[in-house]
Amino acid sequence: MNRHWNSYLNQRLSRRELLRVSSTGFGALALAGLLAEEVRAEEMPGAESVTGGAPSPLAVKPPHFAPKAKRVIFLFMHGGPSQVDTFDYKPLLIRDHGKPLPFQRPKVVSSETFNLLKSPWAFRQYGQSGMWVSDLFPELAQRVDDLCFIKSMYGSNSRHGGALLELHTGSDTFVRPSMGSWITYGLGSENQSMPGFITICPTQSHGGANNFGSAFLPAPYAGTPIGAVGVKARDAKIPYIANTETPREIQRMELDYVQQMNRQQLAATGPDAALDGRIESFELAFRMQSEAPGLQDISREPAATQKLYGIDDRVTEDFGRQCLMARRLSEKGVRFVQVSHTYKWDQHSDLLRDHAQNAREVDKPISGLLQDLKARGLLKDTLVIWGGEFGRTPTAQGSDGRDHNPEAFTFWLAGGGVKPGLQYGSTDDYGYYAVENKVHFHDLHATILHLLGMDHTRLTYRYAGRDFRLTDVHGNVVNGILA
Amino acid sequence: MRNTFAAPKGMRPPHRERRLPRRRDSLELARIGLIDHLMFTLPGATSMADWAAVCRLVGVTRLVRRTASNAVPACDNVLTMPMRGNPPAPLLKCVRLIALALLSSALCPAADDGPEFFETHVRPLLVRQCLPCHSSPTAPMGGLRLDSREGVLKGGSRGPAIVAGKPAESILLRAVRQTESLRMPPSGKLKDADIAILTQWIEMGVPWGVEARVETGAEARQQTAAAKPKFWAFVPPRDPQKPPLKNTAWVQSPIDAFILAGLEAKGLNPAPPADKRTLIRRATFDLTGLPPTPREVEEFLEDQRPGAFARVIDRLLAAPRYGERWGRHWLDVARYADSNGLDENLVYRHAWQYRDYVIQAFNKDKPYDQFVKEQLAGDLLPRPADDATQFERWTATGFLSLGAKMLAEDDPAKMEMDIVDEQLDTTTRAFMGLTVACARCHDHKFDPIPQADYYSLAGIFKSSKTMEDFKVVATWHEYVLAPAPEREKLKALLDRIAAMNKEIASISKAEDDRLAGEARRKTGAYLLAAGDTLRFEQVHLKPVAAESKTSSKPPANALIRTAASFDRGNAPRPLEKGEAKTPANTGRAGRGAPVLFAEYDIAVPTAGDYQLDLLEEETGSGTVDVWINGVLEKRGAGPVTNREASPDAGGWSAAGIFQLVAGKNTIRLEHKSRFPYFESLLIAPSPLPPGTETPRSPVQVARQYGVNPSFLDQWVEYMRTSKGAPHSVLYAMLAWSAQPSMAGGALSGWTSPAAERFRDYHPKTREELAGRYQELFLEAERKSESDRKSDAALAVFHEESFAKAGPFRAPSDARQYYPQAVQSQLTQLEKERKALEDSKPDLPKAMGVSEGDKIADLAINLRGSHWTLGEVVPRRFLRVMAGESQTPIDATQSGRLQLAEWLTEPNHPLTSRVMANRIWRWHFGRGIVPSVDNFGRLGEMPTNQPLLDWLALRFVEQKWSIKQMHRLIMLSSTYQMSSAYDGHAAEIDPENTLLWRANRQRLEAESIRDSVMAVSGDLDLTMGGTLFTFKDRAYVADTSKRGGVDYARNRRAVYLPVVRSNMYEMFQAFDLPDPSTPNGDRNSTVIAPQALFAMNGDIVLKHTRSMAEGLLARTGVDDSARILEAYERALARPPAAKEVDGALTFIAGIEKAMEAHEKDAAKRHVFAWQSFCKALMASNEFIYVN
Repeated sequence: MNRHWNSYLNQRLSRRELLRVSSTGFGALALAGLLAEEVRAEEMPGAESVTGGAPSPLAVKPPHFAPKAKRVIFLFMHGGPSQVDTFDYKPLLIRDHGKPLPFQRPKVVSSETFNLLKSPWAFRQYGQSGMWVSDLFPELAQRVDDLCFIKSMYGSNSRHGGALLELHTGSDTFVRPSMGSWITYGLGSENQSMPGFITICPTQSHGGANNFGSAFLPAPYAGTPIGAVGVKARDAKIPYIANTETPREIQRMELDYVQQMNRQQLAATGPDAALDGRIESFELAFRMQSEAPGLQDISREPAATQKLYGIDDRVTEDFGRQCLMARRLSEKGVRFVQVSHTYKWDQHSDLLRDHAQNAREVDKPISGLLQDLKARGLLKDTLVIWGGEFGRTPTAQGSDGRDHNPEAFTFWLAGGGVKPGLQYGSTDDYGYYAVENKVHFHDLHATILHLLGMDHTRLTYRYAGRDFRLTDVHGNVVNGILA
Repeated sequence: MRNTFAAPKGMRPPHRERRLPRRRDSLELARIGLIDHLMFTLPGATSMADWAAVCRLVGVTRLVRRTASNAVPACDNVLTMPMRGNPPAPLLKCVRLIALALLSSALCPAADDGPEFFETHVRPLLVRQCLPCHSSPTAPMGGLRLDSREGVLKGGSRGPAIVAGKPAESILLRAVRQTESLRMPPSGKLKDADIAILTQWIEMGVPWGVEARVETGAEARQQTAAAKPKFWAFVPPRDPQKPPLKNTAWVQSPIDAFILAGLEAKGLNPAPPADKRTLIRRATFDLTGLPPTPREVEEFLEDQRPGAFARVIDRLLAAPRYGERWGRHWLDVARYADSNGLDENLVYRHAWQYRDYVIQAFNKDKPYDQFVKEQLAGDLLPRPADDATQFERWTATGFLSLGAKMLAEDDPAKMEMDIVDEQLDTTTRAFMGLTVACARCHDHKFDPIPQADYYSLAGIFKSSKTMEDFKVVATWHEYVLAPAPEREKLKALLDRIAAMNKEIASISKAEDDRLAGEARRKTGAYLLAAGDTLRFEQVHLKPVAAESKTSSKPPANALIRTAASFDRGNAPRPLEKGEAKTPANTGRAGRGAPVLFAEYDIAVPTAGDYQLDLLEEETGSGTVDVWINGVLEKRGAGPVTNREASPDAGGWSAAGIFQLVAGKNTIRLEHKSRFPYFESLLIAPSPLPPGTETPRSPVQVARQYGVNPSFLDQWVEYMRTSKGAPHSVLYAMLAWSAQPSMAGGALSGWTSPAAERFRDYHPKTREELAGRYQELFLEAERKSESDRKSDAALAVFHEESFAKAGPFRAPSDARQYYPQAVQSQLTQLEKERKALEDSKPDLPKAMGVSEGDKIADLAINLRGSHWTLGEVVPRRFLRVMAGESQTPIDATQSGRLQLAEWLTEPNHPLTSRVMANRIWRWHFGRGIVPSVDNFGRLGEMPTNQPLLDWLALRFVEQKWSIKQMHRLIMLSSTYQMSSAYDGHAAEIDPENTLLWRANRQRLEAESIRDSVMAVSGDLDLTMGGTLFTFKDRAYVADTSKRGGVDYARNRRAVYLPVVRSNMYEMFQAFDLPDPSTPNGDRNSTVIAPQALFAMNGDIVLKHTRSMAEGLLARTGVDDSARILEAYERALARPPAAKEVDGALTFIAGIEKAMEAHEKDAAKRHVFAWQSFCKALMASNEFIYVN
């Protein structure tokens, strides 16, 4: 697999060594990072000292090949947004509204549905690309020329739990590392004062932390949650990040005292990378404690920016904050940021009311995020991904609802390395099955890794006697969407 | 040379075999060569440290130091070599040169790339596209097998599939190009890129991957029998020769001899013995997970007689703390948790019984063979005389049951096989260190485990009962842990309750039938009412206040009341936000319980329609019923179940339009269980334009038509789901709402037999049409079954009317419509039933496994899919060890007991070795086989096999006693070495593989937490039981329960609940392994979140304060004595004089600096001492054990 010589360095360190010694943090300018810089830039790196003795697990690692995107923001629509009510325009579904579905339903369904149900929302074409968007997303519709739609997504599991795990980890059967963990494992973090993978207000059901966990990958690659579902974005914080009892300068005094004890001990024991590393880790924690709350604090963003994300409106405020926080984290080099619109898109009934409400909550914030990223020049190397764990049936559940449908749904990507204004793949006449250029979650994973400069077949980790991949034995890069 | 480059675990390329020359090795050699070359050609002023830096930059870990005087290569591990920052600039240039040279060489295909090319490109393609049909050992399609090189070259009925090196002559290639009659694969043409790969592969001469070619059936037998010499792990251990040694004085135990042999071979010496303080701290943490108390240290120091340390060991082994520590080690292997995790995270309420069983087993020194047997087959062991033993054994089988499961899998067969797989995986890894689960889909790629063997073992687990059912959100099996008479009493009680249920059900059914019968007389009215309701549903009322919430200003004529301002009511005041915080109705359950309500007196000037809006309403527990002036006008929605409420977007929402009278009106909001939060309510004249029909709630519509509101709800739902369906009997009614006439082809699309009765029927009004429907329903009801048989139209009317899930089924709230006398009778019966239920003893339970209802051998699931079955294989054990001729497992038994007996045979090659190695790992921080859970070919080789085998044999000899193993190990010189650094040894053996000194180990998560509490004197040593407050099978991680687990308890960490998918933050930060898979080798990372915990963790802050207060409360001692005590408690040593001074200065400094923040001098004093205690517990010395 890994003929890539740079990542070799990584292999040379036994896992034990890597972990035991490990990162002092993210703090030390690590060897691998140094080397990567060395290869990329013609200039010699400065003479910073290589302290920690071994690379931090979050040190920047070079990709397998030149990446198109450096970081990812994943906008996760939990519950399963309906493709036929959002982006997958189906004139025949309108025409045949109320008629029976003229073909076989899948073998395994989560419950019974009835006849075809047209979308209650009108579709219109937008932008240069003339792409169809329903009236659910008036703001996002203005951005279609920046988006790359995959209309032919499909998965294998018709239940939320299984589908969430499949989307996030590639497996709906076992506990596996999540894609954010794989990416951070593969590339490290660009900000050595912050975790490489952050998930804002993640769900606690349907696999819970397994959706951002590192499973058998080392702990530093696990997603760091900021808040949890049900916590307002303004109240979300990283575990143990603050201490209300101890004033900052007092804490610094305490830290200096501890470090003095630690250094005295180290002098007595002789070289010990772990002891050394722990000294570094305290300094890093202290920096993180200073940096993280600032990154989360959006109050200093100009009013115009806040407005762009809809933070001035109660409907869009919460998701707007999440999106703005995501931009701030991305900008500061956090490799993978997930934003969750939690378990709202599950309209077995009340499609009309609830899909409208959901769309209203996210439309402006997402549109604002895209505009903001673009204005800052970040969109060109940031990959933004939008989607849910499955789509919904074009057939009705009740008069105003749709069931789960893993056979077809829409994702869109924007930014780093994807063709903007493109529509890739398609579904049948009613949007029940993906038919042309089908893209499985494994293919999506392979493509995301590819855009980040990694070959999904080479990004492996040896565990329990075999080499694991995010894509297991599956996955093809969707070349058709690459810019 | 090659051995020194053995790839570390976790970082190895896929599907590669160790014995072959690997590209990576050649790369490393190339790098070394380049560096070597540069060393000779560059100016000699460069130091070794600089060279070390170069090596590290290009990824070479060992440096070949060649000097003129020394031609023999000496290996230096550059990772431990001193470094001075980056090498000088000229050297860095070299680095880039090397890098580029290597990069280019790495990108050119090389001769030895064949297997890699195959594994990377070809095998996945074959697996995906071809093997589904071309791999069966018995009947591959066309006789062609593409799962081995031989098969490919031999071909099938059409001759060889491939001619090596000749793409044009290869049938396979012609087939995949699909230009001729043979077109493969049938599912569609391969991508061009894939065809190119196959072409290249054939051109390359059909290289194949390297793998243990063990196939099913005959080939496997041949292979397993002929494999010689067998891989070490499959050969039972034999007593090793005692190695010849120089330094015999050091050898206290044979262990030392084996260790010393390794050291002497490299010219190394063992570290000097650890001092007594270090030794007792090490042993105490090691065996109990807690620090020694100052008194224990003192006693050991004073004990100058021989055997002092042995006495310490015996004391520690006898303490119940021992089981808590070592039981926890086993719980890692048993992937213990108190919740299911995965998709539906349900509480395993009784899992703790297994946890306590494990702790007790260690404390009792239960022989390991017995321990294994109980966990796999406790229920099948000969019946013990006493109940306690029986319960213990049932509980032990929890080992098999408490894994993570997908409980909401739509395919029950897949769910069952996934559970079987999880059990098989855990069992084989825990006891044998083998990854048998790899063979679920195909023969094991590296170990001689054919797929057939997997299904032999799987048959054993599938014949056992873990689950009660495989429904979506499935139920697991539990044992009742009570004596037989009590279990029988319980059963009798349950039977009586069941009988009462039956009686209640039969009375209810009679009433329900009566209600339905009455309702059927009004079918026409239901049709009309349901139609109206559906029409009203389409009107989405907007709140009176504008949509944009922030700028919204309610109109001037609106009346607003805050929620808490109600005039009468028993709702909480103020209402609390957050559904979890809203108190539940404390009234009695069942009928007659007081509802929660709030009444608002509202005066309006004129009678008419008014809209009611609520602000920031929380809807998770359901919405309120609305009563106007004593009449129920709207029924609230039910609670949102099993669903996370996310932060409400909030704002106003419309509750409905109601008629008010002029003057005072009473608006009553009511809820049966939890009164939902809202901020305010608003009343304003109906905003609908004049002339618009006012939408009415279903209750109001029901009143208008004189029908039962509960049946109406069902009619609405029924009509909704059959909307527009041509096969529905209601088609005419529905068509009428769209086009009020039966003229023309209005009914032409109607496919139901009911259409027959509407031919040439032309009603004038909707009411007339509804009447017609009613007649037909009644006619169908009157007619006999045989009449209906001959009249298809009547048959469908009857069917709809009497359908189990139809509109006239008994409503869930039907009771309220029963006659009063019947209601009282039912209430009485329910009271009696409740009394019975209350008398039901809360008998302890345990998760566990028993024999299954169906005992059977299993067919191989081809490619792991239960949709495609292969040959049936007998239940038996791994043939590589158990051989071909095994005693067949009785057809009436699952085989778990036999499996357990086979595993614990004294000469089983793996069981004793794996456990002896685990024990070694937990003492030393690294196993003799470092990959403790994998003894297969892809695991690591033992670093000292004679030692491992010697230990394994002693383990069996000493009756599988784990405590004896501790004595054996801890009384060796090896264990008692210090961790002193030795520069020379560090260069030769940087990872201390040979054990030239003791490993310095970081405390594990539980020990850190427990020690903070122990040192501060707060630790509660109560044993056993659960701290979970949830009911069995409750959802553990929905919003309302977030944070519902109290981790701040002072009990030992082993007793804290382990919630899968939602692990305690502190555990997560300190490397508690994922509790979904077995793991006997915890990581020991150093990451920033750990430091954050030490700085800010709630536990740290709480207990350091209490420690400070305790120290300050000492009377008659000075501050130096307090510092001495703190040091002894935390670090098991007195401070040096300099340290005492430093501490005093520090405390004074903090106290001074706090003046700016804290006015109270006494508080400043405590705070400063707390800072000192925090520092002690944050120190490396506290958290690392020497």
